[in-house]
Amino acid sequence: MIKADSKLLSTLPPGFALHDTGEDGSQEYFLNMGPQHPSTHGVLKLVVKLDGEKVVEVVPHLGFIHRAIEKMGENESFVQYIHLTDRMDYLSSHINNLCVCMAIEKAMGIGVPERGEYIRVMVSELQRIQSHLLWWGSFGMDLGAVSTFLYGFKEREKITALFEELCGARLTMNFFRPGGSNSDVPETFLPRVKEIIQDLKFALDEFDALLTKNPIIIERTRGVGILPKERAISYGCSGPVARASGVDLDVRKHSPYSVYDRFEFDVPLGKNGDCYDRYWVRMEEMRQSIRILEQASAHFPPDPYRSKEKPNYKVPAGSYFASVETARGLFCTYMVSENAMKPYRIKSRSPNFSNLSAINEMSAGGKIADLVTILSTLDIIVPDIDR
Amino acid sequence: MTPLSITHPLGDWIRQQLPSPFAAIANGLIAVIAIAMLVVVTAIFLVWLERKVCARFQARLGPTRVGPFGLLQPVADAIKLLMKENIRPRTVDQLAYFLAPLLPITGSFLVLIVIPFDHNLQVLDPDAGIVYVTAVSGMGILGVLIGGWGSNNKYSLLGSMRAGAQLFSYELSMVLCMLLIVMASGTASLRNIVLSQQGTILDWWIFKLPVAGLVAFLLFIVSSTAELNRGPLDLSEAEQELTGGFHTEYTGISFSMFFLAEFVNMFAAAGLGATLFLGGFLAPQIGWHPVDQLLAFIPGFIWFAAKAYFLIFLYMWTRWTFPRLRIDHLLSLEWKFLLPASLANLLLAATLVLFKWVIP
Amino acid sequence: MIPEPPKSPIPVLPNTMMNPVDWVVGWARANSLWPLVFGTSCCAIEMMATASSDNDWARFGLEVARASPRQADLIILAGTIVEKMGSRLITLYEQMPGPKYVIAMGACTISGGPFYYDSYSVIKGADRLIPVDVYVPGCPPRPEALLYGVMKLQELIRKGAWRNSLTHKPIYREPISDLMTKCAADWEEKEKKKQEEMKEAQERFKVENPDYKGYVIKRVVGPKFEEVAPTPRPERGLPQVELFNILLEKFPALGVYSVPEVTREKIAELGNQYVLDVVVSREDYLPLIRFLQSDERLRMNYLIELTAVDWKDHFDVIVHLLSIDKGHKIFVRCSLPHDEHPEIESLSDLYAGANWHERETYDFFGIQFKGHPDLRRMFLEDDFPGHPLRKDFVDPSRVVVRPY
Repeated sequence: MIKADSKLLSTLPPGFALHDTGEDGSQEYFLNMGPQHPSTHGVLKLVVKLDGEKVVEVVPHLGFIHRAIEKMGENESFVQYIHLTDRMDYLSSHINNLCVCMAIEKAMGIGVPERGEYIRVMVSELQRIQSHLLWWGSFGMDLGAVSTFLYGFKEREKITALFEELCGARLTMNFFRPGGSNSDVPETFLPRVKEIIQDLKFALDEFDALLTKNPIIIERTRGVGILPKERAISYGCSGPVARASGVDLDVRKHSPYSVYDRFEFDVPLGKNGDCYDRYWVRMEEMRQSIRILEQASAHFPPDPYRSKEKPNYKVPAGSYFASVETARGLFCTYMVSENAMKPYRIKSRSPNFSNLSAINEMSAGGKIADLVTILSTLDIIVPDIDR
Repeated sequence: MTPLSITHPLGDWIRQQLPSPFAAIANGLIAVIAIAMLVVVTAIFLVWLERKVCARFQARLGPTRVGPFGLLQPVADAIKLLMKENIRPRTVDQLAYFLAPLLPITGSFLVLIVIPFDHNLQVLDPDAGIVYVTAVSGMGILGVLIGGWGSNNKYSLLGSMRAGAQLFSYELSMVLCMLLIVMASGTASLRNIVLSQQGTILDWWIFKLPVAGLVAFLLFIVSSTAELNRGPLDLSEAEQELTGGFHTEYTGISFSMFFLAEFVNMFAAAGLGATLFLGGFLAPQIGWHPVDQLLAFIPGFIWFAAKAYFLIFLYMWTRWTFPRLRIDHLLSLEWKFLLPASLANLLLAATLVLFKWVIP
Repeated sequence: MIPEPPKSPIPVLPNTMMNPVDWVVGWARANSLWPLVFGTSCCAIEMMATASSDNDWARFGLEVARASPRQADLIILAGTIVEKMGSRLITLYEQMPGPKYVIAMGACTISGGPFYYDSYSVIKGADRLIPVDVYVPGCPPRPEALLYGVMKLQELIRKGAWRNSLTHKPIYREPISDLMTKCAADWEEKEKKKQEEMKEAQERFKVENPDYKGYVIKRVVGPKFEEVAPTPRPERGLPQVELFNILLEKFPALGVYSVPEVTREKIAELGNQYVLDVVVSREDYLPLIRFLQSDERLRMNYLIELTAVDWKDHFDVIVHLLSIDKGHKIFVRCSLPHDEHPEIESLSDLYAGANWHERETYDFFGIQFKGHPDLRRMFLEDDFPGHPLRKDFVDPSRVVVRPY
């Protein structure tokens, strides 16, 4: 009914062909994974060229959730763009908001009071943990251990409940504003963060016992989907994916924003760049985030939580840039203003977009099951790629 | 040791009432109906149990809305599946597509025929029971292979090819484990194997052969998990990779046949494991007379069910805990570890039997 | 006064007319809804949260989520449906065996939600494609809301809708782009109707309440905050002047964006928070980037992004580079004529990541990259008319323009 095969072939790269693989007449074939497939985490489509079970080539096919966010941004005010970034990487929505706010602050010369900065750091780290918890759950599920999905969610719900108390939303927060945040944190915030830290420490040890040391997991992730350091840099990978390959790129350390330079934390770096390293880096990052949370909650400064609001956000002409480290890597906002209330052009650099571009190189030569593992450890959010 | 009656009183009564050919037919009909009932009830109960057990493992409640404790949930599922539209995709191989769902359920049905549920509850007891079991349990694989091929879908094909490779290899170590019991007990009839385990708990084959019995039991559990296509060895389904594997294209009633067979197969395998290693329908005896009498008072089929359900719980436990293996790991596990291990174990057991180094 | 609500299309049978068989079948179907594993965006996370231990949709028998549409009874449309996905969604719906049910979860699938205006790709309501039975509003709806939606659906099925799909509405069979045209037309019509109704209502209100004086807006006074000076954050790596010096050695014709008649002193004056934004001619574009990447002092080995800006009379291609080891950044921009398909050299040999960034820029702006191995559209269908991020892109058939 729908323009089927001819359409599909036109979307494949020019050199894509199916070759004979043996003298017995066996041939490569291709398999459409997605747009609706349980392990593509949304509506990503992968055209996989296979030789038996072996993956020869992977052609990602994007745009099934392309919602024209950048075009919409040109017709909305600068502050209105914040809510659109919620819907891009919805598991790092606070951190995405922060990036847009920072770009506006840079443009208009707005400062943030200390309490506001601390709120930003703590909320960002909580967000990072909840994103990694969800990833941990879905990683386990992709590898066939369905129960981990629910264990991960169980812990994540606690943080989501805290966010709800903070800003009324569980997923699309829209909490940060240029100059601070929309509202102050409730009184229960610090005690609840402490509770969550306690629970998490226990849970992370449990998670380690369940998956990290599991021989099947080790067998399935070690040496699978190797991304060498040079290639990771060349592809522009960032976040845990790049750090697992040994690329020392964490915006929090590399060019510190907010008050990240006041806290002591390590950036875990992998050696081999395989799936296990990516897994390990994320697990370790959760622990580092807990460290930051502990330090921040020990010295939580008093009021005020935001600076004086501007009468309007008429951004002076010029181009502005801000970058943050989301749970998935380097998120940037580049905006061009023509001294107007609306941006002339606004562009969000999403970490997933670059991370996914390396998939062919990582998965070629592996099995289909490896492709699933690699996709899972890339931790992609498709709406963030398609925007 | 008291001699055990072989025939069921109902069968005896029918034989008295009717001339012999009719009696045989009537008895056969009764047996078939009984087994069919058992198949349906077991499958439905196991579906419920699986969903409840899995929910408890995952800190959830599981079905609660229909019937007490959600007991009617699988009934609702079954009725819904039966009433569902049965789609036949245009490109399938018709014969293969419709034949395939029948085979696995037939296979498990045929296995259940020879399993002794109690002293006098067994439809048939062929002398070469083990051989028969091995032969008919292969029908399940055939169904998966035909279904995957006939569906004309690449996911199904991949799933069924995986199933073929996996099931044929794991059949080997499973058969070797069974062979060990045949060797130790000196009979291939399932009923006689149970009877050879009379005595205390230590007379069960899992304990009676020091080390070898336990190893064989563990090997049996692993390889039967693979045979059953259950996680962590459910590669032919592999929902996250193949969206359902061999049954991707099946709808409604044909899918429910596969679904049903999965659970009946599990019951059959657990029953087989209980029969071979855990003394089947025999009550566990610990050698202290008062307690033994009390235990022996409980009917045999309850003991059989208890043992079988213990094994089923083991299957469920592993399924909801472990991640899935990859196909090449799975095959190398069998060919490089399980098969040599079961061969060595067989040798060990042979030595033990030869020199009578069994627990008295 | 209040108009009667429209009659439901579902024939509601009185209880006495339900025979036991119908009752049982309805009961079974209501209690065994197997959802399809299908989520496009944010709402999918809340759908997963509904499956989690805290909310547990297994209580309603929903936990048997099927990955294959052949075995599913229910699609929960969690997330936005865009033009490209539309045809796939219809295929999925058609692959499901009947009776099949659809829950539209979240604002996007109900009406387009936050993406209603200005978006050229979002379908304004999934019910334009396939019949929807239950709508669960929210952005995203809470898990409790989804559970309530499921309960509502169960109620409907039990009421006698067990026969087949609840909504007797045909599946959309025409090309999706026609649908988009219809969306915009629909909106205009509805807007006109709304305006008329508003005017009518206002007049009626005036007649009914002749002494109404109007509403006085009372502003809630929030806490007052002090102005805070921004904390200066110097950029890492080489100082910008030095960077500029190194570049000038090799490329003397180099300009700097928004700094006319650039000199070294002018760069130094801009302070240590400034990031160099050089303007390069088309001939120097590739050599400059190659120099930036390979020079030992610079080592800009990381491509952050490659994008373009449409200035109505020309395009700016902007390349944003970073040195991982040293930490300095640079913007390189190159001006291109405002043609149908302006051309520039591809960076995909230098940076593997540039491949996708260039494809994206091609898709959005129509800029051709010479030497690109695989220059296809990235996000949009091949037959999409025009390049949407150009300022002259107007597609009244797709875009509903924001009225304020």
